[in-house]
Amino acid sequence: MSTYELPLVLFTVLGQLSIGLVCIAALCRAAAPAGVPQSLFREWSVAGVVLGAGIVASIFHLGHPGGMVRTLANLETAWLSREALTLGIFAALLVTGLFLMRQDKESRALVAATCVAGLAVIFSMGMTYSPPSFPAVNNILPFVFFMITAALLGSGAAAAFTPEHARPLVLRILDTSLIIGLVIYLAVPCIWLSGGEIMKQTGQLWLSSPLFWGRIGIGLALPLVVLWTMKKVPVWLWGLILAGELMGRALFFAGTVHTATNMGGLY
Amino acid sequence: MAKQFGFLVDSDRCVGCFTCAMACKNQYHQEKGVVWRQVYPLTQEIYPHRERAFYSLACNQCEHPACLEVCPVSAYYKREADGIVVHEQDKCIGCGNCIRSCPFGAPKYNPTLKKAEKCSFCWQRIDAGLTPMCVLSCPVDAIAVIDTTEPDAPGLLRDVPGFPRQPSLNPSVRFRLPKQPVVIRREDI
Repeated sequence: MSTYELPLVLFTVLGQLSIGLVCIAALCRAAAPAGVPQSLFREWSVAGVVLGAGIVASIFHLGHPGGMVRTLANLETAWLSREALTLGIFAALLVTGLFLMRQDKESRALVAATCVAGLAVIFSMGMTYSPPSFPAVNNILPFVFFMITAALLGSGAAAAFTPEHARPLVLRILDTSLIIGLVIYLAVPCIWLSGGEIMKQTGQLWLSSPLFWGRIGIGLALPLVVLWTMKKVPVWLWGLILAGELMGRALFFAGTVHTATNMGGLY
Repeated sequence: MAKQFGFLVDSDRCVGCFTCAMACKNQYHQEKGVVWRQVYPLTQEIYPHRERAFYSLACNQCEHPACLEVCPVSAYYKREADGIVVHEQDKCIGCGNCIRSCPFGAPKYNPTLKKAEKCSFCWQRIDAGLTPMCVLSCPVDAIAVIDTTEPDAPGLLRDVPGFPRQPSLNPSVRFRLPKQPVVIRREDI
């Protein structure tokens, strides 16, 4: 998309990290054996801070940040408006949940609603970043990429808080997400090479970018090797995954070719 | 909608002089680097001749404009009477979503105002019964205003090589392709 769009890189990655952490922490609690007390307060607090940082970052991509409150004006057709709405709902539910947890009044329905709202945010984000001007990602791929980010970063972060009984589950989620991410990120640019001219250019740009191979190596392959050899999630591993995700997202914005760049040429 | 105005791009006549782009610039004094109308040379793969051919393009006033659909603050609207897509810059918050989403690259970012802007089809001139500045200035009549609700004139095309095909947006632009150059061989003389 021609520039690195750093505010959007931070906003999308941090937002998806927050949603992933909320959902995977809730999953771990749901899988906990009966009688094991487990509060989500620490996980959700971290998710709240990360989400706040992401929202602050998103302000910097606006020419006029004061107009942010008006982004709900076109819910009828604009996925960006819907993204703002779902994000607002997710944030409100997260804060309400934290408030209730502080008073030892956790609600399973609220936890479930927050997870659903989080998934709705990721779906809206996926739709926002799949416009017709980018044929390579004018499909389900942005949603898939964003779900992988949420699963990777969410499980990586959740591992730091997980009690003993839930560790195998978190390891399994992280392990599976890394394999799926590796397969998808290696396969997709190769598939683009057999597409139309703009798709082909996108595939070539991704495959020739150090960001792409950094993302594959640092963010997916190396963590997978570490996970298989150590059988646990050291804290620094999460840093590697985050670095990989940031590189991948920067490439998503800077390396995806716009149709207007080839006007007068082949399509 | 009563009418749907759009541009006829006559690539057979266009000589690539950029007068249309300059006329637009003279009329609206856009910031340095911001261009509402651009003249694109056709590449060798599409027009493999020593002669060159061009498309002069601006906003295509789509029937279903991507810019209008994705704008979160409803800064775009489509005029009922003639289908011109108008950008209300006062409402724009500079999120860049329209710039990213338009497959034709019509909306541009104004780095001074920190807002998007695009070809207005000179709607103020249209309302005054005048033609857009690009149309008025073209020395070879290679651009014209057409009403795409009328049947297309013979020889006009919607989808041409060198222009992204977007049937779901239905851009209001028609093309006349350049003729193939006449090759005169020694034995023909």
